[in-house]
Amino acid sequence: MQLPVLNDAPAAKSGCSASSCGTTDNQMDSLPDSIREKVQNHPCYSEDAHHYFARMHVAVAPACNIQCHYCNRKYDCANESRPGVVSELLTPDQAVKKTMAVAANIPQMTVLGIAGPGDPLANPERTFETFRRLSEEAPDIKLCVSTNGLALPDAVEELSKHNIDHVTITINCVDPEIGAKIYPWIFWKNKRIKGKKGAKILIEQQQKGLEMLIAKGILVKVNSVMIPGVNDQHLAEVSKVVKSKGAFLHNVMPLIAEAEHGTFYGVMGQRGPTPDELQDLQDSCSGDMNMMRHCRQCRADAVGMLGEDRGDEFTLDKIEDMEIDYQAAMEKRKVIHQAIQEEMDSKRLEKSAKAAQHKAEPKLATRPVLMAVATSGQGVINVHFGHAKEFLIYEASPDGVRFISHRKADQYCGGDTSCGDGESVLQVTVRALAGCEAVLCSKVGYEPWEMLETAGIMPNGEHAMEPIEEAVMAVYKEMAAAGKLDTTPEAARASA
Amino acid sequence: MAVKIIESCVNCFACEPVCPSNAIYEAKPHFLVDPKKCTECEGDFPDFQCASICPIEGAILNSLGEAINPPGSLTGIPPEKMAEAMAELQSH
Repeated sequence: MQLPVLNDAPAAKSGCSASSCGTTDNQMDSLPDSIREKVQNHPCYSEDAHHYFARMHVAVAPACNIQCHYCNRKYDCANESRPGVVSELLTPDQAVKKTMAVAANIPQMTVLGIAGPGDPLANPERTFETFRRLSEEAPDIKLCVSTNGLALPDAVEELSKHNIDHVTITINCVDPEIGAKIYPWIFWKNKRIKGKKGAKILIEQQQKGLEMLIAKGILVKVNSVMIPGVNDQHLAEVSKVVKSKGAFLHNVMPLIAEAEHGTFYGVMGQRGPTPDELQDLQDSCSGDMNMMRHCRQCRADAVGMLGEDRGDEFTLDKIEDMEIDYQAAMEKRKVIHQAIQEEMDSKRLEKSAKAAQHKAEPKLATRPVLMAVATSGQGVINVHFGHAKEFLIYEASPDGVRFISHRKADQYCGGDTSCGDGESVLQVTVRALAGCEAVLCSKVGYEPWEMLETAGIMPNGEHAMEPIEEAVMAVYKEMAAAGKLDTTPEAARASA
Repeated sequence: MAVKIIESCVNCFACEPVCPSNAIYEAKPHFLVDPKKCTECEGDFPDFQCASICPIEGAILNSLGEAINPPGSLTGIPPEKMAEAMAELQSH
């Protein structure tokens, strides 16, 4: 069967600036220079930067002023990696110490965020004390905060004082009817307010806070949790509304809901979206809004590059013994940041040169293909298949290569070697790559090789240490030349 | 006449600043209410402030020893449904 060929949609997104088009992955491309300047070394805001820079969260904010159906306030597990989960609550003093210890030991760490485990702005004293001290004692660290928005309008003035130029608001809806299905209650003006009435107040506060931040010149990113059957149809509208008010990035994340988390959605059997559903929604919103696709839904105390967590190296008893000379660390950090910046700049140039070259070549008329990539950063393929904790998913098409998402190899849980129904980690990983037709890594073992082939995913270890986009395009062209793109993946699998 | 915080408290700090009588204090293993200071918010608010922000069902008791937020009242999860899910997990 001949498949329709994608020439324009969905890879060729609107707003892609000519200089770096061709690789169509980068959500930064369509941003004005003034904003790009601010976010280019922020791992959470720039897909490019997240290959090079690290971030950390400090858990100083335990209290919350609302309840969300995807959150369980009792949770604390060292093996879980998802928002709202922490192991060790910190005082502002401990948080400052930890931040400086991490900054000195992981110089790529450029961003400190406060994201919970409750709502940072429902703990204004602890949150602002941390920010105040860090702006003074570690001025080379960017500060950000993530909030549900209920207390945001009252906090904007204080936020603008601490030179916090990035705020994330989680906005799951702009309609109280839908909100009532996500938020069972809010605490507002000395009362617990349930249902639609509570949701309406929350939505109003979020929108007001968003407008006030924009008026102050503070960058706003919006997070939304995609909940199938609840707000999935509604999020395109949310995207439109927040963009029109000036948010610069929209991050649509999949709902994480398992019965063992003890959340309302988990216990009630609400499912999360499939990778396809998430991608379709992100694609449909991307015409209106810059989408963020590399979010890892970090724990509220995560430390390290996105997708990794080095929190264990910086527990309270360990940082207690560390002597940090922050002046010296800052000098060292500056040199390292500069080197990374130069590397990023030169890679960006290389990328646009390659893209131009790709454009000049005769255009293929083949269908798009998803490929998984194992990388630990620097924008190259450098992880052994069996060591990959996550895979980045790229789409190759005649228009170029674009980043789609990441998929976890070990599904939110790193505690056990076998999971649930006796499925091995390997089986889980292969299943996580469903829909991909190739996986690019530095090496693949014999056993996974066979399993991948059986699953219709071609293992490829020939591009170790090569830049991701180039390697993906090279494999795509090989597939085209071998006639593998003339058939659908299903047909290819059947005849294999 | 006083409310009581019991062991299911998760130490989230939410109740401490909203108490009009400064009766709540941080303690180990969990926050506590000073019964001499607690007024049950009488004269200040119609609802118990601590129990109005507390996210944990059953963690705060009234002077009769009853949960101010009974099971299911905050999360919306019917107690039988929660019991079912927990039993299912334990059987694994």
